[in-house]
Amino acid sequence: MDLPVSTITLSTGLILLLIGMWGMLSQKNIIRMIIGFSLIDTGVHMIMVSIGYLSGGTAPIINEAVDRATALQNVVDPVPSALVLTAIVIGLGITAVMLAFAVQIHDKKKSLSIEDCTESKW
Amino acid sequence: MVEGLLAPINLVIAALGAGFLLPLIARRSEGSAHALFWVTQLYLLLISGIWLLRLMNGAPAVEIITAGIQPPFAINLYFGLFEAFVVTAVNLSAILGGWYLLNYFRGRASAMSVYLILAMGISGMVMTRDLFNLFIFIEITALATYGLLALDKSPASLAAGFKYIIATSLASTFFLLGTMLLYYLTGTLNIDDMLLHLDRITGPIGLAASVLLLVGVIIELKPYPANGWGLDVYETVPAGVAAMISVGVSAGAFFALYKIVPLLADFLPVVAAVGGATFLASNFIGLRQRNVRRMLGYSSVAQIGLMTLALAVLNMLDKAEYVSLVVGGLFINHLLAKAGLFWLAGAVDRPGTEDWVGLRRKPLLLVLLGVLLAALAGFPPFPGFWAKWELIMQLSAGDLPFWVFAVLLGSLLEAAYLYRWFGFALRDAEQPPQVEKVGRLIPIGLFALSLLACGHLIANWLGLDAARVLVPVYMGILLYALDGMPGRLKAIVVLAAFAAYAYPVAMGLEGLHWLFGLILLLGGGVIAFAVLHRSDARKGFYPLLGMLLFSLVSLLDASTSLQFFFAWEILTLSSYLMISLGRGAKKHILTFLMFSLGSAFLIMAGFGFAYGETGSILLSDLSNVQTSATLVYTLLILGFLIKAGAAGLHIWLPGAYSEAEDDFSALLAAVVGKAAIFGMLLAGLHLAVNGAGAVDQVNYVVGWLGVITAFVGALMALFQEDVKKLLAYSSMGQVGYIITAIAISSQLGWVSAGYLTVNHLLFKGLLFLAVAGLVFRTGTRLMYKMGGLDKNMPMTFISVLIGIIAISGVPPLTGFGSKWLLLNALFDKGWYWQAGLAFFASAVAFLYLFRLIHTVFLGQRKTAHKDLREAPWLLLVPQILLIVAIMAFSVWPKLLIDPITTAIAGNFPEALIWEGTALKSRLGYWDGFMVINIVAGVFLVPLLILLFLSRFMRIQKVKQFNIVFAAERPATPETSHYAYNFYSFYEKAFGSFLKPRATAFWDGVSEWSNTIGSTLRVLYTGNGQTYALYVLFYVVMIYIAVGGMG
Repeated sequence: MDLPVSTITLSTGLILLLIGMWGMLSQKNIIRMIIGFSLIDTGVHMIMVSIGYLSGGTAPIINEAVDRATALQNVVDPVPSALVLTAIVIGLGITAVMLAFAVQIHDKKKSLSIEDCTESKW
Repeated sequence: MVEGLLAPINLVIAALGAGFLLPLIARRSEGSAHALFWVTQLYLLLISGIWLLRLMNGAPAVEIITAGIQPPFAINLYFGLFEAFVVTAVNLSAILGGWYLLNYFRGRASAMSVYLILAMGISGMVMTRDLFNLFIFIEITALATYGLLALDKSPASLAAGFKYIIATSLASTFFLLGTMLLYYLTGTLNIDDMLLHLDRITGPIGLAASVLLLVGVIIELKPYPANGWGLDVYETVPAGVAAMISVGVSAGAFFALYKIVPLLADFLPVVAAVGGATFLASNFIGLRQRNVRRMLGYSSVAQIGLMTLALAVLNMLDKAEYVSLVVGGLFINHLLAKAGLFWLAGAVDRPGTEDWVGLRRKPLLLVLLGVLLAALAGFPPFPGFWAKWELIMQLSAGDLPFWVFAVLLGSLLEAAYLYRWFGFALRDAEQPPQVEKVGRLIPIGLFALSLLACGHLIANWLGLDAARVLVPVYMGILLYALDGMPGRLKAIVVLAAFAAYAYPVAMGLEGLHWLFGLILLLGGGVIAFAVLHRSDARKGFYPLLGMLLFSLVSLLDASTSLQFFFAWEILTLSSYLMISLGRGAKKHILTFLMFSLGSAFLIMAGFGFAYGETGSILLSDLSNVQTSATLVYTLLILGFLIKAGAAGLHIWLPGAYSEAEDDFSALLAAVVGKAAIFGMLLAGLHLAVNGAGAVDQVNYVVGWLGVITAFVGALMALFQEDVKKLLAYSSMGQVGYIITAIAISSQLGWVSAGYLTVNHLLFKGLLFLAVAGLVFRTGTRLMYKMGGLDKNMPMTFISVLIGIIAISGVPPLTGFGSKWLLLNALFDKGWYWQAGLAFFASAVAFLYLFRLIHTVFLGQRKTAHKDLREAPWLLLVPQILLIVAIMAFSVWPKLLIDPITTAIAGNFPEALIWEGTALKSRLGYWDGFMVINIVAGVFLVPLLILLFLSRFMRIQKVKQFNIVFAAERPATPETSHYAYNFYSFYEKAFGSFLKPRATAFWDGVSEWSNTIGSTLRVLYTGNGQTYALYVLFYVVMIYIAVGGMG
C-alpha cells in the first residue's frame, strides 16, 4: 500500500491532538495539563504541515530544476511551512507562560492540582 | 516627516519598539522608562485620534501594505473609520487605565512593556486583514494579557489566570486550525481574497473550518456557559487589568468577529443565538451576584453578548447600515461605562455590593456611579440608549418579536442588579467608602463626560436637534453646578427657568397636547411652587427637580416616538432619583425603578412594532398601524397602565408616593402620574379612536381594569394609618376611574377622562400639599398621632375639606361633575356592571376621606400639638391657587369642559350639548351653576337661622378636656386611640380582598428570576478543567447547530 507521508503526518497530528485533549481534560495535575496542551499544539502543527504537502513534490525554489510554468503542480506549498514556524514560537511562548503560572501557583498553594484552583466560582 | 510619524502602522511599530526598549532603559533609570511608557501611550493615542478625526471628515481609509508586496501575497492592514474609532477608544482606555496600575508598574518595567504590547495587539487585531496575522495578534494580545493576570500574585488571581490561559489557548488553537483549513480550501489567508472565493468553502472541511474559526473567536467573547474563566479573572485581578480585558481585549475580539462574519453568512442565526443566550443567561445570573467585580463581569459578558446578537441580526436582516449606530453605540457605551465602573470599583475597593452603603456621603463618587450605571442600563442621553432603541426598532421591523422581548427582558434584569447595587450606595452609613487618591477619579470623570458627549453626538447624527432634546439633562447638570447656592434661591432659579422654557412650548401646543400642557406644565408649576417653603439646601433636589420639570416639557414637545421615549425615560430616571431622596424610600426605590423600566420597555416594544409595520416613528403615524394594531395598543397601554398604577401593577405606587419627600409626593401623584394618562390618551387617540385597526377587546379589558383599580385603591386606602399612604392609594383609585374613562373611547368618556384628570390634579395636589404642611409641623405621618388640628391649622383644614369634597363626588364641587360625566359615559357605552362597581368604589372612597378629615382635624388634640402653627405660607399659596381653581370650575364647569371638548374635537361624534349653564347628554343634564347655588342655599339658610337663633340662646364653648365633650382619655397609648384601626369592622368584612395578592405575585416573579439565575450558574464550578470541557462542548454544539450532523 502506498501511504503518502502527508497522510501519516496528518493522522499522527490528529491523534496527538486527541491525546492532548484527553490529557487536558482528565489530568488533575497542572503540569500534566500543560503537557496535554503541548501535545495539542504539536498535533496542530503537524496538521498544518500536512496541509501544504504535495506528494512527490519538490522544494519550492524556482530555479533550473523547476520549470516556472508547471511550478504550481510540482512544488510543495511553502506557506504552511512558514506559518508553522510562527505557530511553534507562539506555542512555546504560551507553554512558557503556563509553566510560569504553574510555578507561582505551586509557590502560593503548595499544590499543583487544578481542583485547588477554585477560589472563585458562580 | 510628520505624515510619516502619523502613519497608522506606527501603532504597531512604536508599541513593539517601546515595549522591548522599556526593560533595557529601566536598568539605567526607572524614571526614563516611565517617561517612555507614557510618551508612547500618548503617541499611540495621538495617531489613532488624529486619524479618527481625519476619517470622520471624509479622508479615505488607509491601506497598509507590508513588505512592499500587494495583498494577498503579503499581509495587509486596513485603517478605516471603524478601525480608527475602536483603536482610539481602546488606546484612550489604555492610557487612562494605566493610571490605576501605577502601583504595579513601579519597579516593574516588564509590566509596562506587557501593557504596551497588549494595546498594540488589540490594534493589530482590529487592523489586520489577514487571517493568520489575526491569529498572531490574538496570541500577542493573549500573551500580554496573561502577563498582566500575574501582576497581582494572590492565589485566587493566579488560579483565575491559569483557567483563563487554558480556555483562551484552546480557543486560539481552534482558530488556527480553522484558518489553516480555510487556507487549504481557498489558497489564501487574506480575508478579502477569501470573500471572493466563498464558493470554495464547502463540504465537510469547509464546515469544520468555519466552525473552528467561529468558535475560536466566539470563545474570546466569553459566551455562556463557556466563560467561567473570564468571570473569575474579572473578580480577582487588579481593577485596571479587569477593565482592560473587559473593554480592550473584548473590543479586539469583537472586531475580529465583525471581520469574519462575512465569511460565515450561513452561521448568523447561530451567532445571534449565542449572543442572545449569553445576554439573557448572564443577566439572570447577575441577579444572584453580591461581589461587585464579578457582577460587573456578568454585565460585561452580557453586553458583549448583546453586541454579538445585534451584529448577527443586523447582518441577517440586511440592515448592515445600522451596524455603526447599534453596535457602535453599544460598544462605546459599554467601553466607557464598564471601564469607568471597574476603575471606580478598584478605587473604592469594597468587595460586596452591600459594602457600598454610605456612598451618598461622597457626592462626587455617587454622581460618577450614577452616571456610569445609567449609561450601562441604557438610560438617555447616553449612547446605549440610542443604540438599544434602534436595535429594538430593527428587530421589530425584521419581525423578530422573540428577540425584542429577550433583549428587553435581559436589559430589565441587568438594571435590576445594577440598581440594587446603587440602592446600597444611596443608603446612609456612618463609615462611607473612602477613596485615598481623589486624582484617581479624574479618568472616571472623563469617561462619564465622554458618555454624555457621545450621547449628544449620536443624537445629532440621528438628525435630532441634540441641544434641544438634551435640554432636561443639561438643565440638571447646570443646576447641579449651582447646588452650592442657598435653597430658596435655587428653588427660584428652577421655577423661573421652567417657566421661561415651558411658556413658548406651551403656546405652540394644540389639541390633546394643549390640554396636557395645561395639566403638566401649569399644574406642575403651581404645585412645584410649594418647594419654596423649605429654606434648607436640599442637596441634589433642585437639579433633579429641574430635570424632571424640563422632561415634562420635552414629553409634550415630542413629535416622534423616539423623542417621546427619550423624555419618558428622563422622567423615569429623575423621578427615581428624587424619590430616593426621601428618608424611608430606600426599600421602595428598586421596585419603583423596575416597574418604571418594565413600563418603559413595553412602550418601547409597542413603538417598535408600530415602526415595524409603518416604517415611521412619527407619533401621528401610529394611526396607520393596521395588522399589528392590537399588539401595539396592548403593549403601549400596558406600559402606561403600569405607570398609572393599575391594580395588580400598582405595588410600586404606595411606597414611592408615600416615602418621597412631602412636597415632591404632591408633584408625583398630581402631575407626574398624569404623564401616563397623557400616554394612554395619545395611544388611544391614534390607535383606538382614529386607528386603522380594531382594538375594542383591549379597551374592554382596560375598562374593567380601571374600575377594579378604583375599587382596590379605595379599599386599600381605607385601612391605612399613614396619611400619605392613604393619599397614595386614593390616587391609585382615582386614576382607575380615568383609565376606565379612556377605555370608553367616546366623546363622553374622553371628556370625563380629561375632566377627571384635571380634577385629580387639583384635589390631589391640594391634599398632598396640605399633608406636606401637616407632616412638616407634626413630624409624623400616622393619623392617630394627630387630631384636633383644625384650630391650629385652619387653612390646611380648609384645604383638606375642599379637597375631600372635591374628590368624593358629592355636589357642589367638581367631583360631582366627574361622577356625572363618568356614569353617563359608562351607561352610554352600556357598561352597567362597571358603572356599578365604580359607584360602589366611590362610596368606599367616601369612608377614607371622612377618616382623613375626622382623625386629623377633629376630635382630641394631642398635648404636644398645643402650640403648632399653621403650615408655612409658601406651602399655602399653591393650595389657595388650587382651591380657587376648584371653586371656579365648580361654579362654572363650562370653563373646564369647553377646553376639554375643544381639545378632543373632531375625533368623536358630539354627545354633549350646552344649554346655558346646563350640560346635556343623552341621559340627562347637569347644571353646575344651579347646583352650587342650591347647595349654597341649603347650607346658608340653616346657617343664618342658627346664627339668628344663637342670639337668644346661652352658648357655652366646650374646652378640650371638658368631660362632656371628650369621649376619650387623651393619655392612653396610641393603639387604644379610637382613631387607630378606625375601620376594623370593615376590615373583617373585606379582609379577603386585601390579601397582598399582587405583592405576592411579584415577589414570586422576583424569586423565580433568582432561581433561574441560581440554576444557570451551577455550571460555574470554578474548576478550570470543567471550563476547558465547556470550550470543547461549544465546538460540538456549534457544529451540531449549523447542521454538521445532518
